[in-house]
Amino acid sequence: MSAALRSFETQWRTRAPDALQPIREAAMERFLKLGLPSLRDETWRYTDLRALAGQSYREAGCETPGVASLSASLSLVNAEQHAVTLTMVNGCPVLPADLPDINGIEINSIREIYKEDPNRVRRFFESASDADQRRWVLLNTALFIDGLYLKITGTVPTPIVIRHLSTGDGAQAAHPRIIIDASPGASATLIEHHLSEGDITPLNNSNTHIALGRDAQLEHYRLYATGAGATHLDALDIHQSQDSRCRQFTIALGGGLVRSSLEARLSQPGASLESYSLLVGHEDRHVDCVNIVTHAAPNTCSRQTARAIAGDVSRVIFNSKVIVNAGAKNADSKQSCRGLLLSPSAEIDTRPQLEIYADEVKCAHGATTGRLDPDMLFYMLSRGLDRETAQSLLVYAFLADVLTGMSVNSARSAIENALISQLPDSQTLRKFR
Amino acid sequence: MLQISDLTARVAGKEILTGVNLTVNAGEVHAIMGPNGSGKSTLAQVLAGREDYEVTRGSVTFEGRDLLAMRAEERARAGLFLGFQYPVEIPGVNNVYLLKAALNAKRKAAGEPEVDAYEFLALIRQKMKFMQMSESFLTRGVNEGFSGGEKKRNEVLQMLILEPKLAILDETDSGLDIDALKVVSTGVNSLRDPARAVVLVTHYQRLLDYVIPDQVHVLSGGRIVKSGDKSLAQELERRGYDWVMGAQVA
Repeated sequence: MSAALRSFETQWRTRAPDALQPIREAAMERFLKLGLPSLRDETWRYTDLRALAGQSYREAGCETPGVASLSASLSLVNAEQHAVTLTMVNGCPVLPADLPDINGIEINSIREIYKEDPNRVRRFFESASDADQRRWVLLNTALFIDGLYLKITGTVPTPIVIRHLSTGDGAQAAHPRIIIDASPGASATLIEHHLSEGDITPLNNSNTHIALGRDAQLEHYRLYATGAGATHLDALDIHQSQDSRCRQFTIALGGGLVRSSLEARLSQPGASLESYSLLVGHEDRHVDCVNIVTHAAPNTCSRQTARAIAGDVSRVIFNSKVIVNAGAKNADSKQSCRGLLLSPSAEIDTRPQLEIYADEVKCAHGATTGRLDPDMLFYMLSRGLDRETAQSLLVYAFLADVLTGMSVNSARSAIENALISQLPDSQTLRKFR
Repeated sequence: MLQISDLTARVAGKEILTGVNLTVNAGEVHAIMGPNGSGKSTLAQVLAGREDYEVTRGSVTFEGRDLLAMRAEERARAGLFLGFQYPVEIPGVNNVYLLKAALNAKRKAAGEPEVDAYEFLALIRQKMKFMQMSESFLTRGVNEGFSGGEKKRNEVLQMLILEPKLAILDETDSGLDIDALKVVSTGVNSLRDPARAVVLVTHYQRLLDYVIPDQVHVLSGGRIVKSGDKSLAQELERRGYDWVMGAQVA
């Protein structure tokens, strides 16, 4: 047994039981049986966790020294433009005593709601499979301290923001948990912003579960903007009912090791998902993104657009898989992944896959990776632009497909700013916006 | 203004220019003609500073400076402009942004203040009107979805805004209908000035009816084999390139 596994087991044994105990126990048992994923596991073949496995972890504290110093500059959207900002510190919700009443949203602690009425949230803890990408979710279920349960009951016109703050040291582990439950016909935009105090942060093992009722609509963002020493394992589950629509943006702009997964299930006819991934490899960052979309009903639609750039000695991986179950006829899916290498020592791996068990489906996929186009570069140089500026403009243009899809202008512009600051010659680039 | 002596250059290991000699003085318009594959575009690209074209011998001075020692962007800022035969499309980079960045890079190099947004928009609108270009140009990506003719107009528009000392126009006339050719020619003529020079690389004599050259050169086999005044272009049109190449053998 690895040092990490032993330390997680120790944490588990010293935890006081709560109402979720039977669910937690089953999850921990399975996690310990399966162990940490390794390079032999299909969805982990590009990410080596041996260094992580060799470490011991203790529970990251819920003390919130950083919250007071969280400045407005960390905000993705300004106060007038959002419904509410909720803060999680090391996976612990920091809810103000007097939460404002917001039309269309109910905000609860997962533990509280489970104690009152377990049936409302039980389904969010039923892990669908033993698949290797789910191991960390099992650990999250066993060890999460508390989480946020957001029930969207109506139309929320401005974004709901969740700030996940990591603070502490590398020998700690945190397990943030979010449930977003959208009632039939509800509609909202939700932004999850992961950030850290300083470069070294606790191991972050987060899970967000989204369920969309009939005709519900959600635009969801997850932005990784933690420090260069952060390790972040993040799993997103999306379940969609009839005619629901989800637009999902995953933006990796921070962290040292980021593993980001998305598992979506289009369970009923008419459900549609658009997923956009903007993955930026910088310095020695490692970004591993896995998307698995299952079309489980007829007339379901999915679109996956990924743009990956890798500079310095970074590595970016994007694997996407579309599964069309038997009977899911007229399923319509597209996977488009483009990679851009900015340095000879960087690496991008992409692998779009299809598993089709139904007839009459439309499934397209494409993946390309290359360097900056020398003709485009020469054209810009021949007009007198600095090489750095020309390169940055081309990189920026490469990512534009994903940026232009974002409908929250303030979030888009904040994300653009954060993105630009990681490109060479950011000062000049800012003038172009 | 421009002095090329015994210039040889290789592309992908193959010698394309085999000893070009050419002098262009301020105020002059030169036409470089020649059959396909004679090295016309290579010469234009080498002068603009394309890095994958390897200069193996010779020298080029531009206003007394060693042009070959300058990077492409430095040449542009020093006042050299290349109008591309095949302008590249750059989706996602706005036309106006590129032009503004180009103009400011040049002004900065000359120690002048950067142009402000309002002033620049007024300038670009004026030049666009002159080039008979549609407003949609302002919001589009560089050459994105442009027709062949629109791309060439855009090249000339860029030239008018950057006001280069030396403009090298590589087959800017090809693919243009007669109306577009007139617009492009008017654009080029508007830049004629005792302090500037223009080198027109062209396959056909047609453009030279509108932009009258001071000298015409025939490039063949990677070097200039014949030079003359504007009547040389007319003679070439009548007798074909075989005539010059025949003369070269004799």
